[in-house]
Amino acid sequence: MSAHGFKSLFMAASVAGAALGCYLVSLNVASERAKLEQVEGKIVLAQRDIRLLQTEIGTRGRLAQLERWNAGFIRLSAPTADQFLEGGFQLATMVKPAPKPAIEAPIVLASAPTGQGVARQPSTSDSDEAKPGAATRTRAPSAQDMMHIASYERPTAKPTAIAPVKAPLLAKPVAVKPRSAKTVAATAMKVASADSLAPLPAAKPPAKATALASGKTRETGTPQ
Amino acid sequence: MNAPTPGLVAQPERLRLVGQRRRVLAVMHQRLMFGMLVYVGVIALIAARILYLAAFGDHAGRKLGVTTLIPERGDIVDRDGHALARTIDAWTIALHPNKIIGNKLELARALARLMPERDEATYFAMMRADKPFFYLRRRAAPGVVEAVNALGEPGLAIDREPDRLYPQTTLAAHVLGYTDVDGHGTAGIERAFDQRLSDPAARDEPLTLSISSRVQQALEHELLAAMQKFSAIGAAGVIMDIHTGEVLAMTSLPQLNPNVAGAGSPEARFNRATSGVYELGSTFKAFTVAMGMDAGVIKSVGQMYPCPRELHVSGRKIGDTHPFNRPCSIAEIMQESSNVGTAQIADQLGAARQKAFLKKIGFLDPLVVELKERARTLSPRDWSRTDVMTVGFGHSIAITPLHLASGYATLMNGGIWRPATLLKVDRNHPVGKGRRVFSEETSYKMRALLRLVVTKGTGSKADAPGYRVGGKTGTADKVAGRGYSTSRVVTNFAGVFPIDEPRYVIVVMLDEPQATAESMGFRYAGWNVAPVVSKTVSRIAPMLGVRPDKKREANMAEVLPYIHEKSDK
Repeated sequence: MSAHGFKSLFMAASVAGAALGCYLVSLNVASERAKLEQVEGKIVLAQRDIRLLQTEIGTRGRLAQLERWNAGFIRLSAPTADQFLEGGFQLATMVKPAPKPAIEAPIVLASAPTGQGVARQPSTSDSDEAKPGAATRTRAPSAQDMMHIASYERPTAKPTAIAPVKAPLLAKPVAVKPRSAKTVAATAMKVASADSLAPLPAAKPPAKATALASGKTRETGTPQ
Repeated sequence: MNAPTPGLVAQPERLRLVGQRRRVLAVMHQRLMFGMLVYVGVIALIAARILYLAAFGDHAGRKLGVTTLIPERGDIVDRDGHALARTIDAWTIALHPNKIIGNKLELARALARLMPERDEATYFAMMRADKPFFYLRRRAAPGVVEAVNALGEPGLAIDREPDRLYPQTTLAAHVLGYTDVDGHGTAGIERAFDQRLSDPAARDEPLTLSISSRVQQALEHELLAAMQKFSAIGAAGVIMDIHTGEVLAMTSLPQLNPNVAGAGSPEARFNRATSGVYELGSTFKAFTVAMGMDAGVIKSVGQMYPCPRELHVSGRKIGDTHPFNRPCSIAEIMQESSNVGTAQIADQLGAARQKAFLKKIGFLDPLVVELKERARTLSPRDWSRTDVMTVGFGHSIAITPLHLASGYATLMNGGIWRPATLLKVDRNHPVGKGRRVFSEETSYKMRALLRLVVTKGTGSKADAPGYRVGGKTGTADKVAGRGYSTSRVVTNFAGVFPIDEPRYVIVVMLDEPQATAESMGFRYAGWNVAPVVSKTVSRIAPMLGVRPDKKREANMAEVLPYIHEKSDK
């Protein structure tokens, strides 16, 4: 009986609670909206300030003022027709590459050593060959040994001994000169195959040496 | 309710009473019910309103108008979006004489020190005046406002008012115009688009003009320099896109600062480019030749005309600056700007055809442009034979520089006249409706003729190397009283570039330039306005995307064979 009597009260209370909840939610939403509007208002104020400052900058840096500075101090004038370029190519034609002393660079030619070249060969080698000395000894110098790497660098600072040392490392394509262009290598390959003493066509890095050597007469003595 | 009346039915007293009570009760119920319905209705109405407000209404703390930035008057920007006119909040200092509580004499002294444009006596007189309100200064600098505020006098009111500012000052002043104190346009674009600029719905969008401020600046600077160098009393210039009719730059000198338009002289406020009509002289010859070609009078550029020293027509003499004294071709007539030759072409053309052409090209009608400062052109009344001849070389007819620019645009864009416009042509503003005036072939042939004038003729100083300028010089004596003045001239140049594929027309005009040592004592257009064209074009052409190329040229093979001998220059 009592429970039944309270039922309506509960109903009323729950309805009131629900209504309150709804109201709170709406209140919350309203306050959030108000905050948002406040932010929007701030944005508008900031925009107005920006506009004002832009106007001021625009007025201070007006074209007439720039013109006055230009005419009075900097004295710029309109570019003439010759100062305009057709594009990248025309620009490139105006830039001469710095003259490289390419001709004076030591050209180290592939050579067939007469005998003494064998001894020094393994000394600084970091190759993984077991007995490099023997390997080179057996069938006279072998193509790789005759290879020298030509470079554009002057031989003054570094002893060129390194060149022949690196040369034998045929197995790994050691990037002896990262600068060596592919085209050079390609032409070198062709020439190399023509040369009887040249290494296998697969040998890329050493091939460059033969390329440079191909046109010249063989030199025997390597710069030691 | 037709209840039985007591008189008709005789009933016992009790019954009567019961019947009465019931009736009364019924009436009461009805009234109660009605009252309740009204009450419920009112409550329901209030509840509905509250619910509506809760759902769609604004809350109490809402600030209206702050959430959007709509200026009091719309901005005016150039075609690249740079502001040319803006409304800002400026400080104003005002005086309420009856609210002053301090010592008036001291206050007057302090004001005279802070704002020296009036002396203390004036300030004191203002304070003792009967008027309730004075503006002391509008658009006051913040420093002055601060100092006035520091005086602490309640009779001094400091307020913010929307104020029109032209950040570029004199740039394009005659195009923009200016506003009055109440912020309504009284000249230029401000006047023409007053409705649009002050409309609350449209004013948040800036009004985009076809003017390019950099081009405008270049034109104004070069023209002003020439005007000063040759001591001219005025100048005007127009640069126009020939395909769309958009005016990229339009200026009138002397300069006007629209921020203080009232301080400018009437001469400065006058827009020479649209309101001033001038007899523009030889620049008209290009039209006469084009008319001749179009009408079939001129069969080829090599057609010969007798060019004596002077031509006598019904009592009037027509002479040349560089007389040929021999038969000359159309190419030579254009090259040396021969009045004698052009007069004969015009004569062959006749009044009717000439008038029809001039009508089609808009020279007989008021200017078609958005500005309200539009001039009516002047043309001969009876169009006699002499008139036809003089109109042929640009006298007896007075038009505005913008008319001339429009005409040259028509001549070079393939022969289609379009109205000039000061609004940027884009999606919202399409190109104006055109009408054909000249044939495409005539338009093409004129290229070489106009280029010839610049490469070998009177306009050689207008050439900007690489930009292929073509055009025509014009020097006209000003009308003085009943005749023409011998010392006052209007010189002008109408040019088109690049001539091998025309895109822009430039018209510059100097009003009464004086001869200087530099111009060899001449007052001819070739000496004073032509260099302006050269300088301006070499500045603006790169901005407009015209690539200089010394290898390109109009098809000069069409005209060069008809130049017979080097004339004495």
